[in-house]
Amino acid sequence: MSGAPASEVRLTMPARPEGVGVVRQALAGMADALDFDAAVLADMKMAVTEACTNVVVHAYDDAGELEVEMTADELGLTILVRDQGTGIRPHPARSETPALGLGLPLIAALSDAFELRGGVGEGTEVRMTFHYARDAAAVADRAVPGQVGADGRWDPEAGSRQPSAGGS
Amino acid sequence: MTRHVRRFGEPGTVSPVDANPILLDDSAGDVVVVVVEGEHDIYTAPTLRERLDEALSREGGVVVDLTGATFVDSSVLGALLDVRRRAHDAGQGFVVCVGESVEPGVQRILDITGLVPVLPVVRGRPQAIEAVRTNGSAG
Repeated sequence: MSGAPASEVRLTMPARPEGVGVVRQALAGMADALDFDAAVLADMKMAVTEACTNVVVHAYDDAGELEVEMTADELGLTILVRDQGTGIRPHPARSETPALGLGLPLIAALSDAFELRGGVGEGTEVRMTFHYARDAAAVADRAVPGQVGADGRWDPEAGSRQPSAGGS
Repeated sequence: MTRHVRRFGEPGTVSPVDANPILLDDSAGDVVVVVVEGEHDIYTAPTLRERLDEALSREGGVVVDLTGATFVDSSVLGALLDVRRRAHDAGQGFVVCVGESVEPGVQRILDITGLVPVLPVVRGRPQAIEAVRTNGSAG
């Protein structure tokens, strides 16, 4: 393929709220060059936003970096969102208002493949893949399991509206 | 000679909410409409929460109009769910509207989370104002 679009993009920036929109812009540019369908782009933007937000809110006590890698192959686009922080779980949120807890369930439902790696002290890596060719009807039926609990946080165990068709 | 490097959010730069406005429209009288346009995420969520607090403090019904919004994330949903709960506790109506042709970056997150009947979400602003007048005890 001559004139093929860039197959790999890497971004590193301070893990701050204003960076999340910059990542979305870069993703939109790459997806446009790869001729992704608008519906897939909408899903990618949302999933990447949630992954980057997790880094901004949870990864670091103080300052740190947000790393994003986007790699295209013959099947689709794989996006890696990584931090060098203290691990994804037991960490007080930096924001004054508690998060909804919907980020990872959303990423799982929106992506065609999803993997979470990391542990305490070794940073966290979210890897998600979006295929060029998707079964549009099946994708449209996907749902995040659970619902909002009385405490205002997402409860993944709460009576699902329908069987989870998310992830894959 | 050193050049000053501008940073996001510093004086002299465009604030996120200039490019992606969140405005209050109280022309409906007893119902305040929070008009949200552009892209909204963790960067603009604190401003959204402030505007929602202000709308709630007027003690009437609250409509959030996302017709002009092109993207919202879970930080925005968290803010909407929070104000919805507080509105209900205070007996104030709360409804979200999205317009007739909804952006994929708004529709998808509402559909996939099943929040359309929960918030609730309707199409047009007049319909939303009407719904708020009937689902709240205030006004």
